[in-house]
Amino acid sequence: MVSGSRQIPAAPGPASSVADAGGAGSAGQSAEGEDRLPATQPFVEIRNLRKSYARGAIPVLKGVGDTMSKTDRLVILGPSGGGKSTLLRCVMGLETIDSGAITLDGRNYIECLSNGRTFVDRTVQRQVGMVFQHYTLFPHLTVLGNLILAPVKRNGEKKGAAIARAEALLSRFGLISKLKSYPSQLSGGQKQRVAIARALMLEPKLMLFDEVTSALDPELIAEVESMISELAEGGMPMMIVTHDMGFAKNIATKVLFCADGVVMESGDPETFFAAPKIKRTRDFLASILRGTKV
Amino acid sequence: MDLTFSPSFVLPYLPALLRGLYMTLLLSILCISIGLVFGFAVGLMRNGTNRIAYACSTIFVEFFRGTPVLIQLFWIFFCLPVLLNVEIGPFVSATIALSLYMTALASEAFRSALLSIGSEQNDAVLALGLPRRVSLLHVILPQAFLRALPNLLSNSVTLFKESALVSAVGITDLMFQGEIISSATARPIEVLTTVAAMYFAVGFPLTQIVSLVERRVLRRMAI
Repeated sequence: MVSGSRQIPAAPGPASSVADAGGAGSAGQSAEGEDRLPATQPFVEIRNLRKSYARGAIPVLKGVGDTMSKTDRLVILGPSGGGKSTLLRCVMGLETIDSGAITLDGRNYIECLSNGRTFVDRTVQRQVGMVFQHYTLFPHLTVLGNLILAPVKRNGEKKGAAIARAEALLSRFGLISKLKSYPSQLSGGQKQRVAIARALMLEPKLMLFDEVTSALDPELIAEVESMISELAEGGMPMMIVTHDMGFAKNIATKVLFCADGVVMESGDPETFFAAPKIKRTRDFLASILRGTKV
Repeated sequence: MDLTFSPSFVLPYLPALLRGLYMTLLLSILCISIGLVFGFAVGLMRNGTNRIAYACSTIFVEFFRGTPVLIQLFWIFFCLPVLLNVEIGPFVSATIALSLYMTALASEAFRSALLSIGSEQNDAVLALGLPRRVSLLHVILPQAFLRALPNLLSNSVTLFKESALVSAVGITDLMFQGEIISSATARPIEVLTTVAAMYFAVGFPLTQIVSLVERRVLRRMAI
């Protein structure tokens, strides 16, 4: 479906970005940074990202690093609690980090400063859009109200112009009849599609999808996934956390296997699904096929 | 003393009672409005991370919830002018006292409403890059207000009824007029019954609005 824009991973091949689980990830990541050819500047670069909760007591990310190019659709797989969602939330700038940095289009927009504080460049962060597993529409606003709130109140766009854009977007995704509905009057699938449309209103350069179909009834998953696929075909770079392997295979141009707070394996989807390099990945894929959770 | 009940007796006094009702409504609406604004602010402070703001707001709320309204009213009417060495009229002191009382009640309603807004709303606010002012005004406040609405309305009914206490500091509200007329005419049964009926005529529709709001507005928005 989307293989036309698939890209061969840049200089740091899958092997170099596989951080070992032992916690020596940071050494591995800095080596990766030095190896990179300057000509192939990645679209998104995550460097030595560490994140813990409860003041370091619960480490969630233990030195995660990877890159994606502008034509990539990065799918992050892994067992629950492995840090996938946290990684995505860090890229969105929703979390403070303990070390590392994230760049978008060559600009360092999230960085752990020497004083331990997390620096977030809001102007760059605003180029990233995110849709969550749980419905995050504003329940007191209609679909239209949800879509135009940020463009009008944050960007100062004229209300009429924002409404026109919202209507065009909703028509494109078959939601125009729900313009004046409140979120409670929508199905789960419609809510997620509206949430995606709301993020698109801000014309993001990168979209993040955090298990957006996990809370949905099975029959509603397809409409959301096809909307994401449509965006992918339009050339939107994205990072996707999902448990839906079929969807992952279809949409991914690069797969990242995240467990125990580190990137265990990353690479192109053919290799990843057909011939995973490490045992942990094989076990994970096998357990998914059996329909059990790791 | 004539003990027969003759409702028509109060008719000549109705204009005076209506003037009292007007004063009661004026004071109630004024204090409810002030109380809602400050109540939201205090509710935010009670949920915030600033410890000093939390401590101050908590002491304030617990004090006003834990003492009789009458003593609050008397304290502000009699003690505050002496302490500050200024003159405070009955209307102003009654407004201050009832506004503070309403603030304490409303802040509790807002506090629990704010707590019930899930963290996913905060994620949405951050992911959309909404500035704090926009998120407070357009996301948090409307949802907190809608969720708190049933409680706020019943708080308002409470305040409307408690406002009868201001007659004790000489405000010519409905209660005050009723007392004056009933003692001047020695017809307490007719007069006080009429006063009670007038309070009820305002209070009862208000309580009905509470359940109407719960059924209609809140269900549609699934809040």
